[in-house]
Parts: sequence; C-alpha cells; structure tokens
Amino acid sequence: MPRRRISRRTFLEHTSTALVVATAAPEIRAQGRKPGGDARRAIALTVNGTPQRVEVDGRWTLAELLRDHLNLTGTKIGCDRGECGACTVLLDGKPVYACSQLAAWMDGRSVETVEGLARGTDLHPLQRAFVERDAPQCGFCTSGQLMSAVALLRANPHPTREEARAAMTGNLCRCSNYNHYVDAVAAAGGDRSAERLAPRTTAAAALQTVGHPTPRIDAVERTTGKATYTGDVKLPGMLYARVLRSPHPHARIKSIDVSKARALPGVRAIATHETCQVVWGAGSIAGGQQYNDDVKKITKQRRYAFNNPVRFAGEPVAAVAAVDRHVAEDALQLLAVEYETLPFVLDQEEALQPDAVKIWPDGNVSLNNRNEPLPLAQRRGDIEAGFRAADQVFEERFTTTFVHNAQMEPRAAVAAWDGDKLTVYTPTGGIANCRTDMARDLGIPLENVRVVCQYMGGNFGNKNQNQDADLIAAVLARDAGAPVKLELSRKEDFVGVHGRWPTTQYYKIGVKNDGTLTSIQLRGYSGMGPYRKNSGAIAGAELYRCPNVETVVYPVYTNKTVSGNFRGPEYPQGFFGMQSMMDDVAAKLQMNPVDFVLKNMTRKFRDETEYTTYTLEECIRRGMDAFDWTKRWHPPGADSGRFKRGAGLAFMAFRSALGRSNAVIRLDSAGRYAVHVGVTDVGGGAKTTMGLIAAEALGVPLSKIAVVWGDTDRCPYSVGESGSRTTIMTGYAVVEAARDLRRQIAEKGRPAGGEVLIASASPNPAATGKVRNAFGAHFVEVEVDAELGRVRVTKYVAVHDSGRIINPLTAESQIKGGVTMGIGMALHEDLLYDRRSGVPLTAGYYGARIATHRDAPEVEVIFVESDDGLGPFGAKSMGESSKVPAPAAVSNAVFNALGVRMKDLPITRDRIVGALAAGRSARAAHGEVLA
Amino acid sequence: MKAFTNASPTDLRQAARLAGQARSREQSVAFAAGGSDLLGMMKDRLVTPDTVVSLRAVKGADTIVSDAHGTTIGGLATIDAIGRHAGIRRDYAVLAEAAETIATPQIRNVATLAGNVCQRPWCWYYRNGFNCLKAGGSVCYSVAGENQFHAIFGGGPSYIVHPSDAAPALVALDATFRIVGPAGERTVPAADFFTLPSRNPSRENVLADDELLAAVTLPRPAAGARSTYQKVMDREAWTHAIVSAAIVIDADAADPTVCRDARVVLGGVAPIPWRLPDVERLLRGQRLTPELAAAAGEAAIAGARPLAKNGYKVPMARALVARTVEGLAPRRV
Repeated sequence: MPRRRISRRTFLEHTSTALVVATAAPEIRAQGRKPGGDARRAIALTVNGTPQRVEVDGRWTLAELLRDHLNLTGTKIGCDRGECGACTVLLDGKPVYACSQLAAWMDGRSVETVEGLARGTDLHPLQRAFVERDAPQCGFCTSGQLMSAVALLRANPHPTREEARAAMTGNLCRCSNYNHYVDAVAAAGGDRSAERLAPRTTAAAALQTVGHPTPRIDAVERTTGKATYTGDVKLPGMLYARVLRSPHPHARIKSIDVSKARALPGVRAIATHETCQVVWGAGSIAGGQQYNDDVKKITKQRRYAFNNPVRFAGEPVAAVAAVDRHVAEDALQLLAVEYETLPFVLDQEEALQPDAVKIWPDGNVSLNNRNEPLPLAQRRGDIEAGFRAADQVFEERFTTTFVHNAQMEPRAAVAAWDGDKLTVYTPTGGIANCRTDMARDLGIPLENVRVVCQYMGGNFGNKNQNQDADLIAAVLARDAGAPVKLELSRKEDFVGVHGRWPTTQYYKIGVKNDGTLTSIQLRGYSGMGPYRKNSGAIAGAELYRCPNVETVVYPVYTNKTVSGNFRGPEYPQGFFGMQSMMDDVAAKLQMNPVDFVLKNMTRKFRDETEYTTYTLEECIRRGMDAFDWTKRWHPPGADSGRFKRGAGLAFMAFRSALGRSNAVIRLDSAGRYAVHVGVTDVGGGAKTTMGLIAAEALGVPLSKIAVVWGDTDRCPYSVGESGSRTTIMTGYAVVEAARDLRRQIAEKGRPAGGEVLIASASPNPAATGKVRNAFGAHFVEVEVDAELGRVRVTKYVAVHDSGRIINPLTAESQIKGGVTMGIGMALHEDLLYDRRSGVPLTAGYYGARIATHRDAPEVEVIFVESDDGLGPFGAKSMGESSKVPAPAAVSNAVFNALGVRMKDLPITRDRIVGALAAGRSARAAHGEVLA
Repeated sequence: MKAFTNASPTDLRQAARLAGQARSREQSVAFAAGGSDLLGMMKDRLVTPDTVVSLRAVKGADTIVSDAHGTTIGGLATIDAIGRHAGIRRDYAVLAEAAETIATPQIRNVATLAGNVCQRPWCWYYRNGFNCLKAGGSVCYSVAGENQFHAIFGGGPSYIVHPSDAAPALVALDATFRIVGPAGERTVPAADFFTLPSRNPSRENVLADDELLAAVTLPRPAAGARSTYQKVMDREAWTHAIVSAAIVIDADAADPTVCRDARVVLGGVAPIPWRLPDVERLLRGQRLTPELAAAAGEAAIAGARPLAKNGYKVPMARALVARTVEGLAPRRV
C-alpha cells in the first residue's frame, strides 16, 4: 500500500529509528520522488470494431481509458491488480486484464468489450445463455466471465464443462455462481446435459407466477454492461478522492502537514481529523445492534471519519480530492504525518490479559448498550448439575479467523451537494438506513439527503448502513464545492471496511453413554477490531436439545481490522465450532453422526417454543437419500488409501422473522403497475422477487410490472438487504399493497385517462407464540490427499427449507453461492497478520485465496418446501442460510476422511500435512509399526 | 503510480541502451514485457521507475525455433504460446506443463517467458512494502515472522522462494540463457543464471540493471526422455507453488524402465530453482520402481532446514518427488 509506506517514511523523518525497532515495525523503503513523466500522446486503436484515435496519459490503464474516457463502463474494476478478472477484455482476440495493460501500449491494437457483443437488442448466444441460466447474481464479474467465454467459444465451439472452467478460471465470482456460469457456457456450446441441470418449477408451486423459474428482470442489463454501478456514475466537474491510511496498528497522530499536498496543482480538498470531526455513528455502536438516535446518545466509544489515535493498520488518516485519481494519489505522497506508535494487541484472548494495552480507557471488553463491559450470555438450567449427571464430559477448543466479505465491487461513493441537499450514490443494501445515518452523522435534516443505489456488486453484510467512505466523499464534496467520487482499492476494501469476526471457542459437553446431552457450555471470544460495529455473538448452542446450557461470549477489542456482519453474522463460525464439537462427541461415543444429530437436534426453539413449521428431520432424511449417506460414510479414518474419502454433515436453523416494511403500487390507465420498494438488490434477485410477488398478488403477468427501486426519493422505507429479510418483510408489504390496490379497483374501477390508483401498505406482522425459522442440512464428501494436504469436495448436497420458493432459478444461485463461499471459509480464507508489526499480509483476492472456478464443486440443491401461511405466500429466509452449515459440514467430512479433527480454520494444506505428521510420530511413539 | 516516461524500442539491444542511458542520468528504469506484475507493483509504489521501457514494439524476440541443436524460445514468447506449442509439448513436456500452471489465461496471454523467469519475489513482506532485503533493506522479516511459504533450502539471509514455474523446468532441461546488454550478448547455463541471497540478497539472478533475458535454448531431448512438472498450490488456480517438482528422466533406449540419467529440480522451496544432485545420482542407472521413487523422495529432503512455520513443506516435498518419479515410470502393460 503506497499510503502506508510514504507515511512510514514521514514517520522516520520525524522520529528516531530506535522507536521503530522497539515496535518491530518495518522500515520504509527510501524512494526518491522525481517530477516528470510523459505528456499525453495520441494512439490509434480499434474498439469493438470502430477505429479510434485518442490522447492518453502515460499512467492510464486500458481499463481506465475504456471506463473514464470512452464511457465503456461495462468493463469493471474489481481489484486493479490482475487478481479477479472483472476487467477482462479481448485484446486482438485474446482475454487480458484491462487493469494490467497501459493505454499507451494499445497503439495499433484491437480491443473488444462487453458492449460489443450484442447487435442492438439481439443478444450474443452467450449473453442469452447467461440470462437463462441465471449466471450473473450481482453482475459485477459478468462482463469479464463473458469475454473469457466468448474467446473460448471462438476457439472451441463445443467445450466441455472442464474446458469452460479452465477458460474462466481467471474470473472470480464472489457470489460464487460458478456452477451457473459453467452451465451457461456449456449450454451455449450445445451441451444438452446442461438442460438436465436447469431448475424446475417447484413442488409447492400451485401458483400462477410464484414458484416458476424466471430470469431476472434486469438480467439483460447485467449481461450487456448497461447496469450502472456506483463506480460507473460520472457527474459534471466530478473530482476523484483517495484516502491515506495508517501504517501502524495503534498510534497517536502528532501532526499532519498538508501544505505540500495542498500546493500540488489539481488538489481541491483535503480532510484530516483536525478539519473533519464527523462522527461515523454506525462505525461504532454500543452493544453492536441497530444504530439509532438512542444508541447515538449512549455510545461512549465514538468513531469518527478520521480518528486520533488510529487503532488499526489501514484506518483513515486523511483524504484528498483532486481533478483526477493520479493527482489525488500523488497528493497522498506529499502528506507528512508524524506518528507516535503505541503498543498493540492482535489476538482476542491476549487482549483480555491483565498486561494487554487498553485500546479504550474502559478496557478491551466491548461495552454493551448500557455501557457495561459484559459478555453476551445466555443460560438455561444448571450446567454443573448437567455435568454431574453426565457419563462423560468432553472439552475442546476451536478457532476461526477473519475472513473478508470480498464482494466483487469494491466500496465506492459519489457525493454531490446542491445547496444544502446531498445526494450520495453508494453501494448499499439499505438505502433507507444509509440515508438516516448520513443525516444523523452530518447533522442535516433527513429530507436533505437522497441515497441512490441502482446496481451493486455484492454485499454479504458489509454494505449495510452508511460507511465512512460515504461520509468522507460528502465532506470533501462540500469543501471542494464539486461532486466527489471516492473508490477504495481492493486492499483498502479488505482492511478498511469489515469482515467476519475471528473467534476462539471453548466447549465443554456433558453426555450420557447413549448420546443424550446433559450439559452444553461455551466460553467464546470474538475479535471485533477496535470498534464495535455488530454483535460479535457465536451461535450454535440453540441447535441442540439440552436442559442445561450456558454460553458466554466476550466481544473483544483488538488492533486488527474491524469485524462486522458477513453472511450469517454469528453462524458459520459458531456452527463450525459447535457442530465440530458434537461430531467429535458422536465419534467418541462411536455413534454415526446422523444418529447423534437426529437424537439431539432442536425440535422446539430452545426446547420451549414451537416452530411455525418444522422440517429439519425431513431435510436430513432427504439429504441422506440424495447423498447416499449410508454408503459414503465410514468410521472415522477408515479409508487407508493415499486419497482418503470422507463424509460429513451439518445442519442449520436460521431466523425467518416477520417485520415491518413498506410498498407502494401505482396503476395507470395503460394497465402498468409500478411497484415502488426500497430495495437495491445486492445480487440475490430482490427486484425480480418483488416483481414476481406483485404479479402473483395482482394476478397479472410479470411483464405488466415495473419495479422502482434503489432511490430514497422514489421508494418507501425498507429494512434493506440484510438479515435475509427482504423477501419476507418487503415482499409481504407488496402482497398487502396489492391487496389494497385490488380493493380500490373493486371499489372505484380501473383508472381511465390521466387517472392513477395508488395503493400502499406498511404491515408489521408477527408470528404470535411461535418461532419462524428456515431449516437445512448439508452433506459433503471430500477426498483428502493426505501427503500433499489437498482437500477436494467430490459431492455436495444442500437441502433447504426456505418456505415456499418464489423463484427456483435465483434461489438455486443463492444456495450454490453460499455453499461455495462456505467451502472457501473452511479451506482457504484468512487475513493473516504479521505479529510484530500488526500489519495484515494477505489482503486481496490473491492473498486470501478466494475460490476460483476450479475450486468450486458442483452443488446439488434440494428444496423442502413448507408453507406456514405467513410471509409472502409462505416464503422464508434464504440468502445467508446457505453458507451457515457449510464450514462445519466440510470440516466434519475431513475428520471422517482422516480420523483427525481439524480444530482451526482454515484447514489449509500445512495443517493437514502437519496434523498427519504429528499423528504418525504419536503412533510411532506408541510403538506401532508404520505402513 | 508515480508519473514516468514511456519508451518503446524496437529491438532488445536498443532497449538495453535506453536503460543504460537513463541510468547514467541517475534515473530508475523498468522493463515491461507482459507488464501485469510490473503495473501492480507500480500501483503499489513498490517500484517507482522514472522510465518504463516497453518491449511491446520489439520484433522477433517471441519466436520458438527448433533446429538440429535444440529449440530456442524468445524471451518475449508468451506463456500461453509456450504451453500450446506442439513441439514443446512433445519434447519438453515439463516446460509446457509448467506454463499451464501459471496464473490465469488472461495473464498467460500477455506474460512472457523472460518476465516469468525474472519476476520479483511474491513474499508477502516484500509485496506489502516492508523494507526487506529484497527491497534494499537489511532485514528478512520472514525469519522471525510469518514464514509458512518460505524457503526450506538455500535460505539466508533472505528466505524468499523463487516464484517462477518456468525456471525449475528450464533448469531441469539444461537450458542456456542468452542475455543482451548495451554492449553485447553473453550466455549462461540456466543453473548459473539464478543467484542465492548469500551472494546477493537483493537480486534473484545475474542480470545487470540494463540487461535483458533475450532467449533460452533447450538442448535436443535424449531419445528416451520423459519429463513432467507437478505443482502443489493452496487453491486450484492462480497461486504460486508451495512445492513443485520439475523432473526430466532420460530412459534407456532399450529398456525404458531403466533411468539412464535424470535431472530433478524443486520449485517453491528455495530462493532459486533447487536442483537435487543427490537424487539424480540415486536415480542414475537404476530401474524405476516404487521403492526407488520412495528412496528418491527421502533423498530429496536431506539437508532441508525449515523455519518455524514451514516444516510441512519437508514431507510434502518428499511425497511430491516420490510420486513424480513414480509417475514417470512407464506403465506396466
């Protein structure tokens, strides 16, 4: 990170090197800054068949030329480092990363982009296949996948699925819809087997529209490059901003000299902690729950847009807006920051040691919403009595790491002021919450803020609420008197936004010899970074029937990057620990894990409250059949071959609560229905889902429905796409608004001439006396190459009850994507820190080893549909739940293969080889003969 | 990235001269072939050249030509072209297979053989801007830090591993490297091209700042030669080797189960492609059996000196060498 280095140099200029040695911080590389560089030069190139002559700056990349200067924004920038493939274009017919080519090198070359594929409205066969197979979810990687696939089909018109994977393997998809991309390419290549894989109309679909596989209403925009993401927004006179970030995990800023940067021609505004005292409310919340006015009053541990001291490496120190991105970056190099480094702590358990540095004066246990330094605790029964009643008691420790959301679209914001009115274009799952947050943080009336998000490239939990990037862009735009676009680099996005909280989990389980649970105890530690954005909870105990339960989880401050919500916030890591523990208990009791699960799994919520519908047992039995569990499972470690197969399962229950939302439907005399909903569609298909629900509820074809979304000036409040709530809550509001409209039509007749009918609904339903949950079970077979440490998923069956399935096509994408993400969490992803400097080493797609096409197995999805009569046509939650059991299922399968329990995520090759080597030497010590 | 001047010479000698001239004005220079890695490093300001000498306009340095003495591959031949070349796939499978494991199709389409062989280390300390030995500093941060992916052979004072997949293959094939500088050309054997950090901790090879790798020449393969490249990665694509093995076996013409001669080189385990002469001696003149393969694996790890967190590479290297030798034995009919 350039910002880190230059500020470290500045640091060295102002302080003694002894300090550096004392904190073991790396020295700065000395580097001379010489002015100069090329003037613009003219190049001639062909773009999508049209010869062009353009003047290019020496520093422009091809991606920059296409996007900023030729207005071909279908080519996306996901990493700007040749790690993700979102910018893939064809250069003289071959796929290349446009971010990794200089525009100046393009003289005489021919470039093809996504915009050149369709002929008018006549889509390229691959684009049609992408639409039909629901290949794009968020759509941010789609142009790149398409260009790689186009090149493949030109050379090889009938590729195999493996050839398709190989051709697109340089194109990451964090929605992880790899199966559908491969299906689409195979189908476009004439592979008939792809048809067999197409989702079918679901069993419970006795309805007109709902339940039938339907391509997204905006799929064409997502496959032609026409979808406008925040980074594609370009306003007249717009400036470009960059952020200087702290190179130190904990330091006091003694001074910032901005004079040289301000003197650089083209610099228009600079913000630092001295000039900008805006509180970022949602960035640090007492108790880590929903931020609001009351919480704002209570929160002591305030987080500002710029903080002093800085508390993690990567925290914003200053921001610059300038006439172009290169000038803004040059200006960062001229900012002179003097730091006094402070002691730091990275690990959540070490942070609670008496001699650990206090990151906040109140200590390192994050305060709850009453400002008490107390853990999250739940107790039922008497665990000590439970342990006394047990035949056996088992104890174990599990750990999980920080994994980043890594959505394909890096965080960006465009802020524009018109007088005292602010418009923010930003990728947010919740335009309404973002708007409230911006007004509160900036101290301006709510009606003076408009938030717009037309398309966004993934969310997975770190694009809810507002973000500091939104505030920084707004502050710079106000100071500069011009619109400002702030785009984070991929590394900044990894360290500057948030990811899943790392955990340390201690379990103690009491059990009878017949497998009956008598006591469950969890003591957990969640590393929140230095600010509390979300809960830090560790879920899992609620999955089991047991009279005596105690969970105590400490949300702990550390000097790592901030943790927050990421797809099933407290579940995947908690389920990994809890269900690994229980799998281990089953193994020690010599029980088949399925029998143990069936005996002990939840039947009522916390053994007390009925579920609205209960399908967990059916999910498990359907999964066992489809997976062929009795054939694939064997006693742990029984496979003695070099390539060891193993089978594992995990199950899940996930909240599907009802709640408040709004919808407005407008009918004009031409018979057009405009459905106004405050959703943005993070990639799950919310817009299409709302359209399908409206069509069903109104009894009209989908083609009559226009969904209006993603703009607080045009849409009523919605909770936003977090907590897997959109379908249930906003979908139900659509049902109610449709009911209102039908009543109005019955009373007043259909509108004529210039008349319109406007119906609205703001329902706030509840499932009285019962708990509403989605259920599911995952079955996975792995093949472990024990000597080389490789784990390959050879079969995966995911069974889900998400109530009635509104759209089987997009629902399958959701399940497959979550599963693949969960496999990545189990086997690869980690933000590794250098312990001596407190600096993260593996930020970015390459470093975090995000799954590629070749890492993604084929996933078989089974929906067990239920209808509890609640929500829109009985739909329950889905988006997050597909990831939730995956890491536990994979880990249990690895245990079955090896007979050795992997207690720390991710299960990387070094850990497998190391565990087996340890096992071998232990056996050797016992005098066993080695094979 | 820092502002810079673009230069576009049309031949390699001119490129070397341009570099020499810029340097004599105390300017820093970088050569750009495919440019993928260079641009990333420039964006991160890990390198801040005043002049970028683009080799895009250079003519004739990307050819693959075979004659009676062997095959010569231009330094600017793309990795993709090498991986697809019928003659290379037939005669030098180890190189074609290595090429196919490199990065992604998009990178292979522009990346060149010279660029791959001469790429800077991918050690996370170097790539994250630490002022380490490779950046001209005086410390290797991996020694007392995170060294999961670092060297188990040949380390000290730097413990990087050489990142190139092509390099072990070229060493195993006994290639000769042709180097062009402002004053002329020189050739060095592949094995002498790479330098250990104990000789020069800041560089990975013998190139002077104004020299370029122009071409490599592979000797004609022996009659019974078989070769392969096996790479262990920690995801299925787009990573560098944790451990890799480039092995060439010259089988006896009369009895292909007998190994007449062998060259065994590991990647991912040392600051240079790590040749294993003891393993080669062990294989020479022997019948290729599973027992011999296992012995080769054992011999491969003799002298390994792992750091605190990369000990797993030792059994991994043992298994990979044993398996790769076993895989090169002719199948029993």
